[in-house]
Amino acid sequence: MKTIYVGGKVLCPGSGQDELLDLLVEDEEIVAVGGFDPDGVDAERVECGGLVIAPGFVDLEAQLCDPGFTWREDLVSGSQAAARGGFTTVLASPRTDPVLDDPALVREVIDRGREMACVDVLVAAALTTGLGGEDIAEVGLLVEAGASALSNCDVHIRDTTVLRNALLYARPFGKTVMLRVGDPWLDKSGVVNEGEVSTGMGLRGISDANEEIGLSRLVALARVTGASIHATGISTAKGVQVLRRAREEGLGISGSTGASYLLLNQEDVLESGYNTAYKLSPPLRTEVDRQALVEAVRDDVLTAVTSQHVPWTRVEKELEFEQAEAGAAGLETALSATMAALDDLSAAVRALSTGPAELLGLNNALQAGAVANFVLLDPSASVSVNSAEFASKSKSSPLDGRVLPVEVKATVNRGKAVHTR
Amino acid sequence: MNRKDMLGLRGVSREEIQEILDTARRFKEISQRRIKKVPTLRGRTVVTLFFENSTRTRVSFDLAAKRLSADGVGISASTSSAKKGETLMDTARNLNAMQPDAVIMRHSLAGAPHMLAQAFPFSVINAGDGINEHPSQALLDMLTIRENLGTLEGKTVAIVGDVYHSRVARSNIYGLTTMGARVVLAGPGTMCRPELASMGVEVMHSVDDVLQEADVLMMLRIQRERLGKGMLSSSREYSHFYGLDSARLERARDNVLVMHPGPINRGVELSPDVADGANSVILQQVTNGVAVRMALLFLLLGGEGGEA
Repeated sequence: MKTIYVGGKVLCPGSGQDELLDLLVEDEEIVAVGGFDPDGVDAERVECGGLVIAPGFVDLEAQLCDPGFTWREDLVSGSQAAARGGFTTVLASPRTDPVLDDPALVREVIDRGREMACVDVLVAAALTTGLGGEDIAEVGLLVEAGASALSNCDVHIRDTTVLRNALLYARPFGKTVMLRVGDPWLDKSGVVNEGEVSTGMGLRGISDANEEIGLSRLVALARVTGASIHATGISTAKGVQVLRRAREEGLGISGSTGASYLLLNQEDVLESGYNTAYKLSPPLRTEVDRQALVEAVRDDVLTAVTSQHVPWTRVEKELEFEQAEAGAAGLETALSATMAALDDLSAAVRALSTGPAELLGLNNALQAGAVANFVLLDPSASVSVNSAEFASKSKSSPLDGRVLPVEVKATVNRGKAVHTR
Repeated sequence: MNRKDMLGLRGVSREEIQEILDTARRFKEISQRRIKKVPTLRGRTVVTLFFENSTRTRVSFDLAAKRLSADGVGISASTSSAKKGETLMDTARNLNAMQPDAVIMRHSLAGAPHMLAQAFPFSVINAGDGINEHPSQALLDMLTIRENLGTLEGKTVAIVGDVYHSRVARSNIYGLTTMGARVVLAGPGTMCRPELASMGVEVMHSVDDVLQEADVLMMLRIQRERLGKGMLSSSREYSHFYGLDSARLERARDNVLVMHPGPINRGVELSPDVADGANSVILQQVTNGVAVRMALLFLLLGGEGGEA
């Protein structure tokens, strides 16, 4: 079966295209990008006038909670949320029950993803057994079973010798190791950014020194191990500064931030009156930090923006601020939040698609022979975020009620429209 | 005052604080009568919902409600009930179904009363939430200072001790700075942390540096559970550097007010002779507590026709 997407503007940072081109798709594959006569092909036509065709987004940091926590999310609901947000590939976090630290589990999730999920589900396998941060997992077997990356999620590996050895051990298997930055000991009971907001709300703070220390430790280990590290959840100007210097030095370390951090700051937390939808980990930081993150995405110091999709149910969020779980549903709002902050669709597509794809070793450029994973975006439309209508099982979002730019008109995964509006 | 709730003094205006203190001054007289009761809040229901232990605050609120003729009921709840399956919001939904007019709440976690205030029609008075705020304590402190010094404007109040973990200190800082007082903090570096300066106060650390300037010495209670947790080395060292004894008091201004929110660790933050000495207004604080809480209930519940 053939489909032509006619009249759209192809925006693909990977191939450098930014022009009006028609797209011909046959079954799961892109057959041609421009250079053919659309009237000369016998195919279903999709009119794309005024729309932008971009490579499907790739998310690095979604918790799909399947198996084990499927009351929060599962492969079906999580992938539907992804499709609505323009993601055609989601790297599932190993934070499941049991933890994805066993090759058979990795295979099982990949197989079930192919069967049940409406987008591509890849797997980040656990770097340490049970994500416990003490014993190195069977990293080689996990990669052989199909893991696309290794991750210790948001669990710090406290013992620096263990961390160093895990990085050395993982290196020959060629996958990026994803780690949360932070110091495992500092600010342990913190829940909001330290400073005006922690004092103003009477809550324990998390300092930006925490991120600076944690990231500096990873930079030093990237240098001595030669490992490929991806630091997730960068939230401060100090963190950006440390990462910028490491990248200038040519070290194998990259970083990402969550889309919400590009748009929101600590004032939003303060003004919310203890609304736990704003409780994120790391916490929302200052306006200076937010601006540094936006600039770092623009100039590619942060090579990816993630959904930081951490789905919690109502009862897990409807608690006292200190007891409520940290995190929010993010897949369905990542693009709009990123665009609202960057106001540059090309940079947004690079950060949500090309950058994370490269990190996973995928080439998702829109070109003949590639898998037909792409999105149709309406850059002139806006969306009104209503978390109650999320496809995700989680309805918690700090962006609820906001009107944000760009609408995902359609998400095409392997040639099939998995989301349209 | 046009408010449903009293959650904290952050963002409360000078005029509102003035109104509460003026109302409290008038209510104070009721407690001095032989028949200590007015019909102002007759038929209104006031619930005290305490998730943390308290003696004086709870009794003070209970007496305040009774002296205004409100019907009161007290609930001692366990914060850990969340772990047994019932969340705070579940508890509050049940409570709301019984139509209380006001809920006075103490909880170990900051923001807990704010959750109830946003979700339900009853008035919420925060009687202490975690390390965040304890507004009625700060109001009674301000009433006590005003009674003794005539005004708060331009006065220097030194808050000494564990400011970081003190909801009393936080509420006082907001209230006192709003009323034009100067607030200086003294205490161990772990408890008078640099970020507290963002609240518009001076962080001085040394008690001896503030003695000469202070019109009020507000001594905070040292919680013994902070000892040995990387916050404090020993109570001996604490009292040596930060405790108020008669030798230190000698070097302070003659008519300096010595205050303490209670209960006192005698010999740690205050020596017994100072706690019970001529400069101490600690029991006056307790008396004023009832008056301030009567004023809060009256102003929030909008008592009708009664004496005030």
